[in-house]
Amino acid sequence: MNRVYIYNGSFNELLNLIAYLLKNKIKPDNIHDETYNANLFDYVINLDLPNKKDIISKFHDYFGSYNMHLVYYVYLSSVQNKELIIFYYLLNYFKYRENLPKMRNLKCVSEVLRISKQVGNEAHRFKGFLRFKELKEHVLYATIAPDNNVLEIISCHFQKRLKNEYWLIKDEKRQIISVYNKKNFYIASTNDFNLKDLALDDKEKEIEKLWVTFYNTIFIKERKNESCRMNFMPKKYWHNILEMSDNDEESY
Amino acid sequence: MELKEKLSILADSAKYDASCSSSGSKRQSNGNNGAIGNAHYAGICHSFAKDGRCISLLKILMTNICIFDCKYCLNRRSNNIKRALFTPEEVCAITMNFYRRNYIEGLFLSSGIIKSPDYTMELLIKTISLLRNKYHFGGYIHAKAIPGASEVYLKKLGSLVDRMSANIELPTSSGLKLLAPNKKEGEVSKIMGYVRDNRNKNYVPAGQSTQMIIGATKETDLNIMQKSESMYNNYKLKRVFYSAYIPINNGKNLPSINIPPLKRENRLYQADWLLRYYGFKVGDLLDEKHPNFNILVDPKASWSLQHLDEFPKEISTCSMRDLLKVPGIGPTSAKRIIASRKHFKLTFNDLKKMGVVLKRANYFITLNGRYNIDSSLFNAKFIEGNLVLGEINPNTQVEHLEQLRLF
Repeated sequence: MNRVYIYNGSFNELLNLIAYLLKNKIKPDNIHDETYNANLFDYVINLDLPNKKDIISKFHDYFGSYNMHLVYYVYLSSVQNKELIIFYYLLNYFKYRENLPKMRNLKCVSEVLRISKQVGNEAHRFKGFLRFKELKEHVLYATIAPDNNVLEIISCHFQKRLKNEYWLIKDEKRQIISVYNKKNFYIASTNDFNLKDLALDDKEKEIEKLWVTFYNTIFIKERKNESCRMNFMPKKYWHNILEMSDNDEESY
Repeated sequence: MELKEKLSILADSAKYDASCSSSGSKRQSNGNNGAIGNAHYAGICHSFAKDGRCISLLKILMTNICIFDCKYCLNRRSNNIKRALFTPEEVCAITMNFYRRNYIEGLFLSSGIIKSPDYTMELLIKTISLLRNKYHFGGYIHAKAIPGASEVYLKKLGSLVDRMSANIELPTSSGLKLLAPNKKEGEVSKIMGYVRDNRNKNYVPAGQSTQMIIGATKETDLNIMQKSESMYNNYKLKRVFYSAYIPINNGKNLPSINIPPLKRENRLYQADWLLRYYGFKVGDLLDEKHPNFNILVDPKASWSLQHLDEFPKEISTCSMRDLLKVPGIGPTSAKRIIASRKHFKLTFNDLKKMGVVLKRANYFITLNGRYNIDSSLFNAKFIEGNLVLGEINPNTQVEHLEQLRLF
């Protein structure tokens, strides 16, 4: 039998569950959120542990902020079995302590380093590739479709950068939206919002045209290299990048 | 003239400047209610043009009107092209509108020389002051200092921007005399010296850079790299950019080429990295007998092949400096190797996971005494052949291959 432990999908609950497993010396066969489809050989366990609010800061104190940063980024990834990778990573901390991140010959370590880097890289890309549109009433609105759940990371970035603006960032893959009110942002399900009636500001199309003009002009045709562009700006992101989705390439 | 047309003229005139970086500044927006923007220390690329170059900054000229007549330049006085001049408010409006929508990381403002260097500088300062003080713009600004401008303007402009730079354009004064008769080398060095001596966290915090055109004059790679090395040492430059000469104009002093020397530019960038991050000196890479880089293999591999007696390096014991000499190992993977090898015995697979490019490094290393390929093949001819084949892939551009055929 596969013993599969279920948690509610939040980082807090995941740590809560892992703390329980480590304390009771249980090695799970898998850990998964509630969307798990059990098969015949699974023994699904939902412990429904009491909610501990300070679990994240306790983990920080014990495992150190660098390890918690790595683990959190892995949690944000869309990798299958990420919870199990996190579990084994933290389990190995008891043996290797602060040397753990250097033990790259352990699969759980090389995976945690690889995945967290991937998430960090994608978040960094979206700090650049995200495009806001201005709606009526001076609200900025952007849609993204990242592979990993980077909405919170980039919201922190825009909270500093556009601190005196109202903005919304929607992750269309996960159907979640980050809402910023000039003070704080919070992340909610898109079901809680009516996003159908959003109207663009009157000037918006004009500014978009200016940008596309600039984008097309800055290209040096003697240096044309589309495969290079594709490496840096993969096609999977294009539909949300104004100059790539809305670009009349024939004009060049 | 419509704003869109102005933008397209003044972006077109600015696009031959290679600098796109937006890194090195920690600027935060001020406490004002309308303040916007900050700098990201690592820099952020916002888009990529069809030529694969990153777009980070709104790269424009204030004006393409110019009293100079530099032979290679699109904006030279003698060219019969449409001329335009932005007003300071126009530049601010475009910058703010683009920045709010996250199209750009900031502004790159350069200019043709209108009336006089001082007059042009005043125009740049007026525009950027407006952006910083009226619009409370805290994003990244890279401004070009105009050669020949007075110190008082250098002082003012540098206090408003993150990066200020002046382009040396050509590595020797004879080249400069030939192609840019109005530009004086001493004026560019004066700017660089001034920035070096005054730089602090409020004055040009992200440092200065410069640019050289490659292939417009007869200078060798050795001339170019020596110039770079001396500028890195003397003026503490952050970057030297190399820009393959693109034939825009005709003229008797200009070379007649159709294809920009992109592969040569690539080799110069690779060598530039070796100077800044790998502990190499120009004298290690080139000399009077070999004044140009091998187009077929990169400068580090080329150096390694000439110093094969120093190899193979034993990964489990060799120093940081030696690790950096191995083709396929860079500063990041070298650091990882050093951090890990104390704690466990590395395997070739571990090296791969750490980011070592084994198909290059294999020829130059042993690991725990083991050479990963047939040791009878440890000779320069065989290794060079394999490295060259490894670099040519089906995506290699036609013009590169054409350049390769010359050799």
